[in-house]
Amino acid sequence: MITREEIIKQTNEALKKEFEFKDEQLVPTAQLKDDLCLDSLDAVDMVVVLEQKFGVTLRQGYDLRTIVTLNDLYDFIEKLAKTHHQ
Amino acid sequence: MDCLRTGFNTVVIGGAAIGWLVISTILAAPFLWLTFSNRDRAVRKFVYIQSRGIVFLARLASKGLHVEKQTRPAGSCVIVANHASAIDLYTISAFGFDNIVYITKGWVFKLPFFRYVMNGAGYIDAETTTPEEILARCKNAVEKGCDIVFFPQGSRKDPQARFKSGAFYLAKELNLPVVPVGIAGTQKMLPAGKIMIEPARLVLKMFPVMSPKDYVGELGHLHMAQAAKKQIMDFFNEETKERL
Repeated sequence: MITREEIIKQTNEALKKEFEFKDEQLVPTAQLKDDLCLDSLDAVDMVVVLEQKFGVTLRQGYDLRTIVTLNDLYDFIEKLAKTHHQ
Repeated sequence: MDCLRTGFNTVVIGGAAIGWLVISTILAAPFLWLTFSNRDRAVRKFVYIQSRGIVFLARLASKGLHVEKQTRPAGSCVIVANHASAIDLYTISAFGFDNIVYITKGWVFKLPFFRYVMNGAGYIDAETTTPEEILARCKNAVEKGCDIVFFPQGSRKDPQARFKSGAFYLAKELNLPVVPVGIAGTQKMLPAGKIMIEPARLVLKMFPVMSPKDYVGELGHLHMAQAAKKQIMDFFNEETKERL
């Protein structure tokens, strides 16, 4: 099963590639809207990028509005990966 | 010598630019008010004439203005440009687009005096308008024959900032071609937060039309934004390095 460290690494890689973030911006406490300036369309794009990266479905049955920070995003993907693995 | 020109540019040409914008609006207002049902079109045409005046003054303040044009699409299009100076708004007129709707930040709509022109022309406040409403209003503007202008970097603060994908999503949804425009030199002439107008060489370049059909998939608009940014910033970096 994929580890949390691997999730963080792959998520950050995807966000850097598609949204041109720099390493120093991608701290766990960074807020997606206020710190990373992701608007609503960016948020949808980010979900699609991560779905393609991890091969999981993030959009169905989950309230993505609860994801405020990068750490929330890592937690969410980790939880989903565990469910997917079981 | 550049110091003297900067002083001249700021006092004389800057003063003339503000005077032109204010006095022409006051003089034109009664005539625009009389246009009634077609008022928004008349205001957009008026803004085009004002913009040509500002480009003329920018040419006087510059070390030369070079405009590289392409054939524009037959119908409406989405124009996307990099953005590092207040002058950029006016430079689009140098390509002959005379019926355009700008999608801009909300603070511009709060400026005394200018807000009447912004509202009269039917420009769209990207901050207080919902994405669905922006799409609907752009669709309506396209039906009236307008071109839509975005500055996808959203701010003048960082000339290398990411291109947000909203403009490209809109182009895809409305099936409109995208015209990328590169603007170089204005960031030296009048950078964000400055009031001194420095002499600089201005280069405006229109790139070949991009079709949304060439960017397929759920992330097509995002990849189109990245491709547009790459060609515009390659041009910008080259012009900045070599000539300015």
